[in-house]
Parts: sequence; C-alpha cells; structure tokens
Amino acid sequence: MFRLVFQRLLALAPLLFIVSVLTFSFTSLLPSDPVDLIIGDTGTQEQHEMLRERLGLNQPIVVRYFQWLGRAVQGDLGTSFFNSVSVTGAVMQRLPVTLSLTLVSALIAIAVGVAAGVAAALRPRSWVDRAATVGATIGQAIPNFWFGLLLVAIFAVNLRWFPATGFTPISVSPWDWLRSVTLPALALGLSSSAAIARQVRSAMVGVLQQDYIRAARAQGLSQRRVILRHALTNAMVPVVAVLSFQITGLLGGALIVEQVFSINGLGTLAIGAVRQQDIPMIQGLVLVMVALVVVVQLATDVVYGLLNPKARPS
Amino acid sequence: MTPPSTDSASAPSRRRRWVGGSSAIVAVAAGVLVLLALLALLADVVTPYDPLKQNLIKALQWPSASHWLGTDDLGRDVFSRLIYGCRIAVIAAAEATTIAVLLGVPIGLFIGYRGGWWDWVVMRVVEAIVSIPGIMVAIVILALLGTGLHKAMIALGILFSTSFLRLARGVVLAEREEVYVRSARVVGASDSRILLRHIFPNIAPPLIVQVTLTVGAVLLAEAGLSFIGLGVQPPDASWGTMLSTAAAFMDLHWFLAIPPGIAIIVTVLSVNLIGDVIRDSIGRGIAVGVRPGTPAARFESAAPPAEAAGPVGVAIDNPVLRVEGLQVMVAARDGGEIPVITDLSLGIAKGETLGLVGESGSGKTLTGLAILGLMGTGVRTTHGSIALNGRELRSLSSSQMEDVRGNEVAMVFQDPTTSLNPAFTVGSQIAEVLRTKKGMNRKEAWERVVELIHRVGIPRPEERARAYPHELSGGMAQRIAIARALSCNPSLLIADEPTTALDVTVQQEILDLFRDLQDEFGMAILFVTHDLAVAADVCDRISVMYAGEMVEMAGVDQLFAMPRHPYTRGLLTAMPHASDRNPPLPTIRGSVPRPGSWATGCRFSNRCDFRTAACDRRIPLMGRERLVRCVRADELVLEAAQ
Repeated sequence: MFRLVFQRLLALAPLLFIVSVLTFSFTSLLPSDPVDLIIGDTGTQEQHEMLRERLGLNQPIVVRYFQWLGRAVQGDLGTSFFNSVSVTGAVMQRLPVTLSLTLVSALIAIAVGVAAGVAAALRPRSWVDRAATVGATIGQAIPNFWFGLLLVAIFAVNLRWFPATGFTPISVSPWDWLRSVTLPALALGLSSSAAIARQVRSAMVGVLQQDYIRAARAQGLSQRRVILRHALTNAMVPVVAVLSFQITGLLGGALIVEQVFSINGLGTLAIGAVRQQDIPMIQGLVLVMVALVVVVQLATDVVYGLLNPKARPS
Repeated sequence: MTPPSTDSASAPSRRRRWVGGSSAIVAVAAGVLVLLALLALLADVVTPYDPLKQNLIKALQWPSASHWLGTDDLGRDVFSRLIYGCRIAVIAAAEATTIAVLLGVPIGLFIGYRGGWWDWVVMRVVEAIVSIPGIMVAIVILALLGTGLHKAMIALGILFSTSFLRLARGVVLAEREEVYVRSARVVGASDSRILLRHIFPNIAPPLIVQVTLTVGAVLLAEAGLSFIGLGVQPPDASWGTMLSTAAAFMDLHWFLAIPPGIAIIVTVLSVNLIGDVIRDSIGRGIAVGVRPGTPAARFESAAPPAEAAGPVGVAIDNPVLRVEGLQVMVAARDGGEIPVITDLSLGIAKGETLGLVGESGSGKTLTGLAILGLMGTGVRTTHGSIALNGRELRSLSSSQMEDVRGNEVAMVFQDPTTSLNPAFTVGSQIAEVLRTKKGMNRKEAWERVVELIHRVGIPRPEERARAYPHELSGGMAQRIAIARALSCNPSLLIADEPTTALDVTVQQEILDLFRDLQDEFGMAILFVTHDLAVAADVCDRISVMYAGEMVEMAGVDQLFAMPRHPYTRGLLTAMPHASDRNPPLPTIRGSVPRPGSWATGCRFSNRCDFRTAACDRRIPLMGRERLVRCVRADELVLEAAQ
C-alpha cells in the first residue's frame, strides 16, 4: 500500500513541475505591464521603477521562476496585484467551498452512475438499460450550469426545499452545508453520472460473461454476492482507471456551477483574476488546481491498485 | 469541458442502436443543424425584432403573440436574441474547431514525424494541459488575451488542439513504419512530400470523427464561458449570455432560462447524434454483422419423444445423479426455440466416474451446466428429470438451487486461470465458499483452506493461499479450483475438460489428483472431455454424445474393445497413438451439425459410411448393459480400432 502510494507519487510529481513552468512562463507573456496595471498611468517614473524592483521584474524570468517556486513550496504564492491580499490566503479561504462541491458531486456521480450502470448491465435492453442509455446521451448535451438553473427554479424558487444561492461551511452547520451543497452538486454530478453509468454498464456486461462469474455461481454463491462482490469489483477496474478524468472535469465544472448559485469559491476568484489580469492569483490558482488533480489522480491510482492486484508493485 | 478524445468512442454503436439507430431521429438531427445554419445565415431577415432594442415597459414578459418567447429584463425580444444566438453558435463552433485543427494537426504531424526531443517536450506540455480542468486552461489563456467571443474561441481552439495533436501524432507514428512510407523514403522522397502525399490522407477519417466530437464540446464550452462572462460580452446575444441574464432573474421569471437552454441541448444533441452516425460509417466501414444461424427445420415435437428410453442406461442401484429424458432448448432469433439436448438419460453411482465424450458442439458442457441450472439466458430445460441424491432439481426454486450448488454438486471448469476471480486471493475465494455455505468463521475457514490446498498437492499452502490467480501456474490454479469445488464435500463433481488448457506434463498430475481425491472423498464425477485418451484414463464408464443426444454408453474396456456406434468407432480411429506416427490420422468427414439442422432420423447419418434407408427414422437408444443408438449396431461387426 505504502509502496503503491509512493510509486504513484513519484510518477505524478513531474506533472506539478511542468505545469508550474508552463503557467509561469505563459503568464509572463502578458502584453500589459503589471506595474501599469497596479499603479496605473498616474505614478511617477520613480514609483514605477521602485515597484518594478520590489516585484523583482528586473530579474531574468528563470530567476523569477525559481524565486516564485521556492516561495510556493513554502506555501507563499505571492500577493495579488489587484488588492494586495495574499494569494495563498485567498485561495485557501475558497478551497473548502469548491472542494466540498466537487467531492459531493463526485459521490453523486459515482453512486448514481454505478447503480444505473449495474442495473442496466443486469437486464440488457430492459427499460432501465434504455433509460440509462438515453439519459447518458442527453446528459452529455446538457450544460451543467443550465441544469443548475433548472434545479434552482424547481427546488429553490418553487418548492423552497433548498436555498437558491450561497454556501454554508460545514463547520458552521453541517445541515445547512448539506442543504446549500445539494443542488449545485446535483447539477454537476448527474451529468457525469451518465458517463460513469455507460462505462460501468459496458465493463459489467463484459465481466458477467467471464468464467469466474459462472464458477462463482457454480459454487452456489448468492446472486447478490456474485454481482456485488465478484462482478462489480472487476467491472470497477476500467471505470476507476478513467475516474480521475471525470473528477478533474467536475472540478472544472464546479468553477462554472458556482456562478449559478452565487457561491464564492475558486471559480469566482479565477474569473475576477482573469478580468483584472491578476497574474500571481492566476499562477497560484493553476498551481492549486494541479495539486488537486495530482491528489485525485493519486487516490484513483491507489484504488485502482487495490481493485486490480496485477497493478500493484511486487 | 475537457478535450474530447476518441478513446471514449466505444459507446456509439450501442447508443446508435437505441437512439440514433432510428433513421427518423437522425433525420431530425440533420434538420436541426440545417435550420441552425439557415437561421445563422438569415438572422437579420427572419428576426421579428432588433435583438438589442430595449423596451423597459415590456420587460420580463411571458410568451405572447407579439413576443413568441417573451421578453427579457430589458424588454428585448427573446426569440430574436435566440436566433442571433444561432449565429454566435455557428461562428464559435467553426472558429474554435478550425483553430484546433490548424494548430493541432501540423504540430502533431511534425512531432510524430521528427520524434526525438521535439516530440518529448511537446508531449509533456500536452499532458500538462490535458491534466488540468479545461476551463482553467481557457481561463489562463483568456487572462493573456482578454475577454470576448473571438478571444474565447482562440482559447478553446488552443485547448482542443491537444486532441488533434495527439490524433495526428498517433497516425504518423502508426504510418511511418508502414512499408509504403519506408519505400517512399528509400526512393528518396523528401520529408514534406512523404508527410503530405503518404501520411496526411490517412488522417482524414479519424480527423472527421474528432471534429464532430469537438464541435459539440465547443458549443457547450462557449456557452459556459459566455455564461461566466468571459466569452461573448453583453449586450450581444449568445445562448450563454442569455442564460447569464436568466440566472439573475430565476426567482422573478424562470422562463428566461428555458429557450436558450433548449437551444443548446437540441443543437449539441444533434451534433453528437450526427457525429455518431459519421463515426460509425467511417470508423467501422460496412459493419460485418454476424449472420444469424439459419434455424432450419424446427424441432416439432413439443411433447417428450415417445420412445424415451426410460430407465434404460440408468440401470444403477441408488445413483448419486440420475438424469432421465432431459431436453434443453435454446431461444432462436425468430422467437422460437431450438433443441440442443434431447432425450438424455444417464446415471452415476457413488465413487464412480462417468465420461461424457464427444466433439465440440455435441452438448456435453451444456449437460453439465444444465445439471447445475446455470445454462444462461435463453436456454432452459423443457423436459425430463434431474435427480441428485434422490431429489428432483428441476422443481427447486432458485434459492434452493443455490443451496444445492457447492454443497451437493460443484464444477471444475476448463481454464483455471479464468475460472478464478483475478481480484481476490485464491485462499479467500475458497474461504468465501466455506463461510457462506458452511457458516464457518474466518479462522475456521482459513484453517480448512490451508488444509484443502495442502490436500490438492500444493506445497507451502499458507503462502499459496495468499497468492492471486495470476501469480500461479495453470496447473496450480486448477488444483486450487478443484480444492474450492471440493471444499463443501459435494456428492457430485462435474469436471468440464479440466485438463484441456494445461500443459501435457501437468495433465497427468491433475488426472491422478482426481482419482486420489475420489478415493478419499467418494464423490461421483461427471467427466466431460473431447479426449478419449483422457477419458480412458479416469473414467469407469463412457457416454458418447453426438448432436445433443447420447449415441453410445459402455464400460471403458468394452467401449474401447468393441465400439458399436459408427461415430464412436470414428472417434477411436481418430485417436492419436504414440506408437504409430506415420499413417496420417483418419478423421471423421464433415462436422457436427448445428442445433436446428439435425436430421429427424440418425443425426450422424450424413457422415456415416453405413447409412441405409432405415437410418432416416427416429432411432431409440437400445440395449441393457451397454447402450447404442444405431439401427445396424447388431448387424455391423465393428472391430475395435486398436
């Protein structure tokens, strides 16, 4: 287990480095001068020079990158150009919001997707199977933010079961947190569940034809045990292999869905940063995103190894 | 919003069957896209109102005769804005997809062809881009470019170019080693010429497929970016910005969200459906469908065959298993049923091994599965009786059958490496049976597992119990499968070609193991095999099956000394002997007829050298001690092959 985690981490580390290099060099291409952005045209020549000096903009880009990376590793992602807040602080304040939205939606996507996929696989061509297939086709065409709007109209505005906007941290009130996260997580998760259901179905149909399933039945194991233990464990292997892509997609989707529900998460931060061309903020956000992606990838790799003995380091 | 990849294109065939398969739906989808293009083109002519014209008195109106889809917060006509949105959608899809292709394909061709560190560096960059959420990539690019429709489409073009890049590179890597490309290189064609003339044409089909995938993704991404205010800027009308407006008025006028949402869904759905059709026609060429077997003359008799042999052939006192007049039918494509096993009777006594021998397709494996009640969907036993230890199995409920399996009858399958679950240790798979069937606790079960593994002749059983199936050799895995089958001490063991998948040297060991275990456990064995030599080794009696029925049954020595059915004789002469290699092995001409195309009379008659007119009538199984289904059995003196 430990070796598995270590091995996967070693394989994923270069990704962090490459993305940081890319982001840093790319944002340094910005046509407008950050100094102009910060103090505008009004400042004197000296003020400009001083700020340039303070931001370290006089130094070559390679030096600046390693200075930035050195601080980033210590948890300091720099200071926003726009309002002088700490990027780390701003990101960390909003991270739990986006993270809880992503995780809850991932849980919904996996739970609904696996259940629908198994149900469809057990009765090919039944109404469950048709519904899952049609649902997956339509689900792929529905923008998740529009689905979010629909949920707001029905469950928040009309039925008043859930709040239409806002987010309550779990530390404040777990119940209100659940209420505030349900609709956005549904908006986000259900469309992914369609894709997962399709994958589970096709994997499950294949696994159910395997000899070891017939052998397990021949041994008199119950249908439930054969399906849920013997078949599903194997069917989940290919699904988990691509699950990290799904969750990464949810993370991106969360940035948009947050806007539907006026949730102040990383999405709002990112949109503001783009409009203001706030380079340190964007650099920091990308770095945090990649770190999240790496964690997700690591988690799915480990689950993959647990499900599939052949993938474990020997 | 992640670059679509063709990897996920395994679904289309299925989706096409249910959704796009109906040509009406495809026609509707095509119609939607044509309409979209027309509206985009003629937006200025067909719109009833100026999409930007405000009329605050008539704000947030419901649909009416003057405003078909109502008005928005500034009193602008929603219908007119929707039509202008079509134009934006078309522009967006065209722009981003074109940029993606023009950027991705040349770079992909280049790095694929050049290889080396160019390839390495670019691929690392691509991997980095696709690893982060697509929206974040777009955001970084837009931070550099600023906001607006065209800038957003450049960002999406860059984002989606990664999938075209990988596609082009993949094609080049596959093609550059092809003979014709190498020979072009040998005759001195320049690199650019090889790329253009020889490699580029091969990219077209997957490229078209990828374009259809990308267009749908771009439409959704554009709407998303416009929705969060980074794409099309107000007051211009795009479906995304319209939804952005709607979001602000959800509590006052939710209807604003409906028209643009439906427009997006219908458009993307149409693109995806058309994409599926294109993908299927390009990707698969003309589908090579498996021709359904032509079910010839249907088996008429619904009633059990009149001359059912009755107790003939099961003349054993107190058998463990007694099968009588068994008939198994399989569902045909036309909705009817075709018999696959007819009038099968056999019995096995305690401690006895009955061989079930025949070519593939004779129904021997199905007989084993029928006894377990595990024939699969579309196959069912329609007549006859299967009695195990005096209890009729056919009348049992499925949960009662579950109880019988494992406890009273177990099965060992042909390929041990696929009949053990790859996800669990072999020990846990045996322990699971002991715990669920025998109610043992974890510790008892494990001790018994180690004992059993030791008993089937595996050294270091504690260690082996913790191994996964893929860590064991075929022979060892089969020993484990046997241990699992015997774990609950069943009175009947069905062995389906248990040595066929194993090395010759291992085969003998496994056969010896079966004999040893039978001496110890005393179970009856139904040994299914196509190999008469194997059957001769382990069986007491042998039943020869042909085309779903038994044609001969006798003690091993009798059968080998004097086969009475011409088919048995054919099998015996086709047996290889180590002693004489030189004469080529005689074979039985023809092959086993498929179920549904059996003759009414002797099913072997069309391959038989002794056929007469009498063979065209239905022939019963005759005899007392040994049985044979041949009208000429007595008159033909068939000499043993040996």
